[in-house]
Amino acid sequence: MNLRYLTKELYYQKRRTLMSILGLSIGIALLIVLNSLSLAYRQAAHVPLKEIGADITVQRSGDVPKDLAGAVFPCSAVTIRKEEVEKIQKLPGVRGIGTGLLLWVFDPNRAWIVLGIEKENSIGPSLLRSSVTEGRFLEDGKPEALVELAYARQFGIKLNDTISVADNKFPIVGIIDASRAAKIAVANVYLPLKEAEDLAASSKGLQSVSPYAPGDVNLLFIKADQEKITGLASEMKGILGNKATVATPDSFLKLLGSLFALSDKFTLAASLIAIIVAVLIAFKTMAGNIAERAREIGVLKAVGWTNRNVVSQLMSESVIQCFLAGILGILIALVASFGLSFMKVNIPIPWEMSPNPHFLPGGGDQIFKTLRLPVHVPWSLAFFAVLLSIIIGGMTGGLLGRHISKIKPSEVLRHD
Amino acid sequence: MIKSIILSGTDLSKKYGDLEVVKGVSLTIDAGEFVCLVGKSGCGKTTLLSLLSGLEKPTKGRVILNGKEINGASEDVLALFRRENVGFIFQSFNLIPTLSAWENVALPLFPIKMTSEERQRRATELLGKMELGHRIEHLPSALSGGEKQRVAIARALINNPKIIFADEPTGNLDSSTGEAIMGILNKLHKEEGVAILMVTHEDELAKTANRLIRMKDGEIMS
Repeated sequence: MNLRYLTKELYYQKRRTLMSILGLSIGIALLIVLNSLSLAYRQAAHVPLKEIGADITVQRSGDVPKDLAGAVFPCSAVTIRKEEVEKIQKLPGVRGIGTGLLLWVFDPNRAWIVLGIEKENSIGPSLLRSSVTEGRFLEDGKPEALVELAYARQFGIKLNDTISVADNKFPIVGIIDASRAAKIAVANVYLPLKEAEDLAASSKGLQSVSPYAPGDVNLLFIKADQEKITGLASEMKGILGNKATVATPDSFLKLLGSLFALSDKFTLAASLIAIIVAVLIAFKTMAGNIAERAREIGVLKAVGWTNRNVVSQLMSESVIQCFLAGILGILIALVASFGLSFMKVNIPIPWEMSPNPHFLPGGGDQIFKTLRLPVHVPWSLAFFAVLLSIIIGGMTGGLLGRHISKIKPSEVLRHD
Repeated sequence: MIKSIILSGTDLSKKYGDLEVVKGVSLTIDAGEFVCLVGKSGCGKTTLLSLLSGLEKPTKGRVILNGKEINGASEDVLALFRRENVGFIFQSFNLIPTLSAWENVALPLFPIKMTSEERQRRATELLGKMELGHRIEHLPSALSGGEKQRVAIARALINNPKIIFADEPTGNLDSSTGEAIMGILNKLHKEEGVAILMVTHEDELAKTANRLIRMKDGEIMS
């Protein structure tokens, strides 16, 4: 391979070079954008759970008492026994568990959605600590409450007021803006887990349909090894039975209903198509370019270039062109990804994961988590694209070079 | 004085399908001899030149060039043999459009391991002899027809060949430029002792050669 010849050929044959580079770069950009978009949807599907510090949430559906009075469990979240929680905790791949106790409390003049939360846990609703807009977060051993900002405004509840929930008095020590927090397990009132346990244990209506003992919970927030999430989800269903609702990033991806969310197979198929398109574009453009140079190849052979010399020269040109196409493809993909990152995506939160009684205002409304699609081009994908471009260049240059090098100089050099 | 034979073709035939373009031709060329192959268009002279130079394989017969039988050799062996022993001059110059004059001259040296400076030195020296020392960095598109052909002649000489095959070297040039090119070829033959086999259809040009071979319908007439 002669570098001087190579650079001059690429420089002076600008049309040829640009056509080859542009054609392939579009295919490469398509490949990168498709994969980046798919990755972005996957990352978006992680957000609702990530915001609550978990990779998996677990609930179990059951019945509600006929008579809605006092504290009851929502039908989507009934008792998960302490022993079941311990079994889940021991599963390989589980890195930590946060718990919660979600209650609907029907008092004579008001209905509350109450969530009992752990005060110190990096997994689960205790992350709400950062959403306190007024007052403070819950403290250990105190029967006190936090109220959600919108609910407090609607009912004129203020900091330091005292509320009565199922005949238990709780001073309001803080106001929480849940709109800034995760949309999962949103409540009107947040109590220490112990206080919520006492409410549940003392409720006859609740006990009648879903026996409960202190220490049991009805919401689990689980941090797990990423590669084990799918397997763990089935194991948890095995422990909790067929009424268990196990939410994972994959289940949110399905809810997105996007083409990209359909399956890994779609991305794989789309990527394969993009690669095939890229290869065909490169092959067709370069085949045209090389065919134009038949006479030149004849001269090279006449003056003593061997087939190997010719192939290595053409292959080097092709590799350099495809390498540049790969780089341009990355730049195009970066621009496209930047544009796509302004797209907003609404991730539906299933009612079961944030159950509001239907008869309360907004109770039947679908809740969405709205976020900007986190489209970006990972380094690994960019590296793969360049590597793929070089391989395409080597293959097309090699194949076409071998073909054209078989040309007989006498056939192309006959005088006109 | 006994002259050595640089090129000999024996009973050479070339068929394309049923069409026999060269019919049992035999000829020899001595070292340093200037031979012109003359004949009308389509009489087979370019095909004969291709057979003798190893650009094409004969259907029948054999070619011995600089003491080596070349008709059984592989493509790559032939290419290497041409690189070391043969120079070519074509009617349409066949310069690489993206390479400068000196790079075109150095083209046969590109696959050989040597420094770029050495290639440039040798090419520049030859271009100087062709009175193109001031045009070494110019692309072919910036050269006149005569200049292009002089670059092509320099390219044919870069590997110090024993024989130069010239196929209608003045065919694309006006008469005065053609004469100048013929002057250069004659000078090369006389001063450098290079054998030349030139194909032409112009009798006037052929008169300057040591020997003239006439072809008609694929056969040598005289």
